[in-house]
Amino acid sequence: MNARKAIILTAAVALFFGVFFLFPVLMVLGEAFKDKGGGFTFAYVIQIFVNPVYLEGLWNALLLGVTSTFAALLIAFPLALLTHRYYFPLKGPLSALILVPLVLPPFVGAVGVKQMLGVKGALNAFLEKLGMMDPAAPVDWLGEGRFWGIVIMNALHLYPILYMNIAASLAHLDPAMEEAAQNLGCSPWRRLRRITMPLTMPGIFAGGAIVFIWSFTELGVPLVFDYSRVAPVQIYDGLKDLESNPFPYALVAVMLIISSAVFLLSKALLGRSKLGTAPRPKGRQSEKRLQGWKGWGLTAVFLGVFLLASLPHMGVILLSVATDWYGTILPEQFTGAHYDEALGHPLVVPSIQNSLLYASGAMLVDLVLGLAIAWVIVRSTIRGRALLDALVMLPLAVPGLVLAFGYLALSQEGRAFSFLVGANGNPALLLVMAYAVRRLPYVVRAAVAGLQQSNVTLEEAALSLGASPLRMMRRIALPLLAANLLAGGILAFAFAMLEVSDSLILAQQAEHFPITKAIYALLNTLGNGYELASALGVWAMVFLGISIVGAVSLAGKRGGLFRM
Amino acid sequence: MEAICADSVIKDFGEVRALDEVSLGIDPGELFFLLGGSGCGKTTLLRCIAGLEEPTSGRILFEGKDVTDLPTHKREAAMVFQSYALWPHMTVGQNIAFGLEERKVPRSEISDRVREALEMVQMPGFEDRGIDQMSGGQQQRVSLARALVVKPKCLLLDEPLSNLDAQLRLEMRSEIRRIVKENGLTGVYVTHDQAEALSMADRLAVMDQGKVQQVGSPEKVYRNPESSLVASFIGETNLLAARVKGLESGGLVAVETDAGNFSGRLTLEGWSPREGDEVAISVRPEAIRVTGGGGESQGEVLQTTYLGEIIQYRIRMRSGVEVQASEMNPRSVIEQGSGVSLEFHSEDVVVLRE
Repeated sequence: MNARKAIILTAAVALFFGVFFLFPVLMVLGEAFKDKGGGFTFAYVIQIFVNPVYLEGLWNALLLGVTSTFAALLIAFPLALLTHRYYFPLKGPLSALILVPLVLPPFVGAVGVKQMLGVKGALNAFLEKLGMMDPAAPVDWLGEGRFWGIVIMNALHLYPILYMNIAASLAHLDPAMEEAAQNLGCSPWRRLRRITMPLTMPGIFAGGAIVFIWSFTELGVPLVFDYSRVAPVQIYDGLKDLESNPFPYALVAVMLIISSAVFLLSKALLGRSKLGTAPRPKGRQSEKRLQGWKGWGLTAVFLGVFLLASLPHMGVILLSVATDWYGTILPEQFTGAHYDEALGHPLVVPSIQNSLLYASGAMLVDLVLGLAIAWVIVRSTIRGRALLDALVMLPLAVPGLVLAFGYLALSQEGRAFSFLVGANGNPALLLVMAYAVRRLPYVVRAAVAGLQQSNVTLEEAALSLGASPLRMMRRIALPLLAANLLAGGILAFAFAMLEVSDSLILAQQAEHFPITKAIYALLNTLGNGYELASALGVWAMVFLGISIVGAVSLAGKRGGLFRM
Repeated sequence: MEAICADSVIKDFGEVRALDEVSLGIDPGELFFLLGGSGCGKTTLLRCIAGLEEPTSGRILFEGKDVTDLPTHKREAAMVFQSYALWPHMTVGQNIAFGLEERKVPRSEISDRVREALEMVQMPGFEDRGIDQMSGGQQQRVSLARALVVKPKCLLLDEPLSNLDAQLRLEMRSEIRRIVKENGLTGVYVTHDQAEALSMADRLAVMDQGKVQQVGSPEKVYRNPESSLVASFIGETNLLAARVKGLESGGLVAVETDAGNFSGRLTLEGWSPREGDEVAISVRPEAIRVTGGGGESQGEVLQTTYLGEIIQYRIRMRSGVEVQASEMNPRSVIEQGSGVSLEFHSEDVVVLRE
């Protein structure tokens, strides 16, 4: 690729990024440090740390982030190590299946958890039946343990990110590294601590940073659990009086600074270690085939993790087909009526249409941008490629909440983004852009991995045989990249379908609601709102489960999707 | 007693049989080579000896003791890996100290032994370097030092020189042999490079398709190959189809081929061909003397390759068979197209079972 084209492409991408990412983020930061007269002030940010309510919210968010990350690591590391070491029955389908929880919206799952752990929920009904609890004085599990409920939801939702990163680190490990330790007298347990763990640190840090930022800024789950003393919910609640209240800005700025610090720290730790340069394996299979009960035991472990992670969603499925589920272990009677009713509800069908529209729009934007960026990063030699590479990864460090907030402020009458708001307050373009910017890193990573794997000489051969650059792209490069691009695109699409913070904040009128906001609205509806929300949630999950399994089987083995 | 012994070792990977009843013994203090093409089972055999691979059946013995079920880390057989396998999160010194720490050697002794090991591989003072700061040759030396420092009973080397450039490879050949001999180690060395095996080995085993084809000293295997496979794998040779005409005195066998009638010797013990048997003969190119012009020529020079110290001829015999011949220290060059006659000593002709 010649330098001029690369520079033009880079400039175009940088412009897009500047307008739709850096600008809103910096605007939020700016507002947080601007006093009423427009001068610079630290007062609001200091107020966050002085005001006990905000301080508690921030502290709770931090605690949620840290504990959720460790809990996810506790699930992910053993799983990754076991898949790396052993072969067991049904390994192929199971290692795809344990990634599914990532697209089961935790926000929907929380509804199921409430159904099971509520005062009149399944667990209490079960305990009463066993005679272990007095029906007159039931335990309010969620009232007592909301914090841990959120941690568990986050960990069970996000562990696949860590799992994929650690698995990729392990796959890049030369088996001889472990064999050498064994050969020099190291027992298997000590080898894990001295060799395997340190060498997988890049994967742990990369995945851990994403999981931390995600759960630190998670809005949907605390909202459904009515856990209001946490910063993201406080920000959401503060949106109503945004004009008069500068504190949401300050809170958002503090969260942004913490997230970016964690992201940069993990990058710095990774950058200093030379672990990325470890030699690649020489193709020797290091998996050990486990026979008999040991093999099936591992199968059971993997299946168990999946079942545990999808338990909340099973609750949702049950709820969606229950006539009445109150104070009993399982629903007494079943019905398909909620599905019919849901399809007739004014919120449901339009929300599915809206989500499909927004998500496909975002996917298209991501595919075009992702391919262009990956091309510059891998195939050009212009200076600043590394910077571009780092820049497009930044959305991973910026909480969705921050961006949504910036978009909301900028789309007000007379502000820079008001042109994106369609007639009658239609947020379609806003949402497409917001979704696209936040999912761009995944598509770029997928395309970069694909380009790196496909040898540049294959493209050069086509050019030397007389194909024009465009024809070469169409006939050689794109077909070779197809699987990676498809995988990245499907992932971007799936995440956009489930996106919570942008959707909740940017869609204002019922006719423009995407699925997630429609579910949230139904949850707050009296009557059979819960059942209808569940039915809609099930529709969404079935759809997403299919797309993620497709994406993983296309390119998941190569592992590059969630690398930073 | 043999230092290392493989007893009818079979190793299957699924449907594929990588080792097919391999038995061999390696003497104490000997540098033993496993030589063969890729996929012949040589690395699998080495990994079975190291304990990194479990034989499907058969036994591995160290000094007469059965170690088949002993895990790698208790075998005291230190391995040097093809990729070096130096841990990037540790310095050179930490890499070398690793095995000593696992053996609970006192701190004070560790630093002395690490220093000695680095001196042994001629890299004194490299303790604090990072792995990625070193060239391939230096990494090779460090991985050797890491294996040597634990004073293993035997040293296992898996194609240790295959990632080095040609010059360095020559240098390391004598270096590795020196180190093994100075330390009185039993060494097992896997390679596909016959020059490496011939120049370094005390004895070598030629392997093919999971079987040991022949074991012996380099001279013995080169001079007396027992099969056409070994003859053509080690060095270059002319293999010609032949028919036995009869037995001659001194154990020689008379054969006729498309390139003429010869007599040659037998190498395979316990085999004596009968008249009319279809056999093969092997003649090394350097054993053939080419004389040009004069008298009745037996063939014609198709191609002449001049390499300075040596000249190679490709010759087509009257019958159409092609023969390679080479002459050391050539004083004159026979032009392409000239008629030539070939001479060779029956000592240099080996008769092989088809």
